[in-house]
Amino acid sequence: MNNNNMVVMATAAERVFHWMFAISCLLLTLTGFAFLFKNASIAGVFGGFESMKSIHNWLGIVFIISLLMSSAKWLKHPLRFDADDIRWMAVAGGYLSHKVKVPPMGKLNTGQKISYVGVLLSGILLTASGFVLWFFPELKTWFLLSFIAHNLSFLFICIFIPMHIYLGTIGNPGTFQIMTSGRISYKRAKNHYPKWVAEMETGKKVLS
Amino acid sequence: MANRKAILISPELCTGCRACQVACKAWNQLPAEKTKFSGNFASPADLSSNTLNKVRFVEAPSEDKPLRWLFVSQRCMHCEDAGCMKICPVPGAIYRTKDGAVATDPDKCIGCKLCSAACPFDVPRYGKDGKLSKCTMCADRTENSMPPACTKTCPTGALTFGDSKELIAKAKRAGYTKVYGENDLGGLGAMYAFKDAPLLYGMKENPKVPEMVVFWHKYLKPLSLISIGGVAAATLLHYAFVGPHKDKEGDDE
Ligand code: SF4
Ligand code: SF4
Ligand code: SF4
Repeated sequence: MNNNNMVVMATAAERVFHWMFAISCLLLTLTGFAFLFKNASIAGVFGGFESMKSIHNWLGIVFIISLLMSSAKWLKHPLRFDADDIRWMAVAGGYLSHKVKVPPMGKLNTGQKISYVGVLLSGILLTASGFVLWFFPELKTWFLLSFIAHNLSFLFICIFIPMHIYLGTIGNPGTFQIMTSGRISYKRAKNHYPKWVAEMETGKKVLS
Repeated sequence: MANRKAILISPELCTGCRACQVACKAWNQLPAEKTKFSGNFASPADLSSNTLNKVRFVEAPSEDKPLRWLFVSQRCMHCEDAGCMKICPVPGAIYRTKDGAVATDPDKCIGCKLCSAACPFDVPRYGKDGKLSKCTMCADRTENSMPPACTKTCPTGALTFGDSKELIAKAKRAGYTKVYGENDLGGLGAMYAFKDAPLLYGMKENPKVPEMVVFWHKYLKPLSLISIGGVAAATLLHYAFVGPHKDKEGDDE
């Protein structure tokens, strides 16, 4: 393949689910903070607290559907872990110093794999607890436990959002287009995702 | 609150006439409820969105008499440290009046029912519209210098309304060594002059806001803001001091 040929890294469906998830997640976070801190100005944007509650609840449905749909496509990547992942963690993925040698990665690097599983687990916990908060207030103890679980799993999202936005944009020039056009140059793919490219070319799984 | 108002309830003076229940319904324009006899004289058996106060009937053992019949008028306790106010996500849906009462604004309530999970006394009830309905210490009367309807009606002096401190002093002069609510939850707006252990009257000893609510309020809530802000700041520092991931040579030729 020519170095300047483009390869597809994210299909249209993958990109649609990604943005559905991203937008619902950001709006849920914003409205969630408005509830946490009783912020009337944010609530005003959503038509007051009462309608913000409905919006928050229904966005939760968009959130979990898009999360599960994208997981159906992506989950196979984070679930593969090998010796390169251990090495990646040892050098912090090269994010703390540009001098270290970063081991070759597949479609997702180790950090992405870990945070993906984290988002999936906290997303499921957020949805399950949100469901109890929405429909089962009379289950006293479970209701309160769900309230705590909702807030605890939200902490992970609070850490993930700024990190993901940064690493997906200015922190890694050239990656953002994967979620817009879905394509990158063959050369870039070979440089950044060597194991993924090799795997596609040989049609075999590459272990380390 | 330095000098809050309160209702002092003295079960020893209560005859169980339930005039307080009638007065509350009359003033707040709440309908009567269909009730059933279930072996206890409390009627209705429980608080509801239409029954903001009720008299609890307790049959307690006695040494010299066949039994002691205790009448305990109950309603929202108007906690100084109010779990319901802590957890409510809407500003002003539950608010403190200048008399120190915990009042509600149904127009603002969004019916999330979180307040029911945070109340140590199982007070919040919700109407058909899903909104919180509870005793407001007759905020609409006290604002106009009138005592709450139930206290105004009480014919025996079992319910009295006034400055919290004065009520406590009065109860102590009458021989009660402890007043339930004097120090609980930072001071309650509904206090009891009990002759025996509170448990006998159906009130819990040392009421507390559920620990999970306190944990959430003190730690979880601020931590979410610190997390998102802290990580955002860290990414900017990373960009400035470590710099973005360098493109490998020839990536985008
Ligand atoms: S008794 Fe319950 S509803 Fe009343 S002020 Fe205390 S926490 Fe709120
Ligand atoms: S049900 Fe109403 S009063 Fe209770 S916490 Fe929710 S918004 Fe506040
Ligand atoms: S203070 Fe008013 S609202 Fe509360 S129980 Fe008495 S009459 Fe009812």
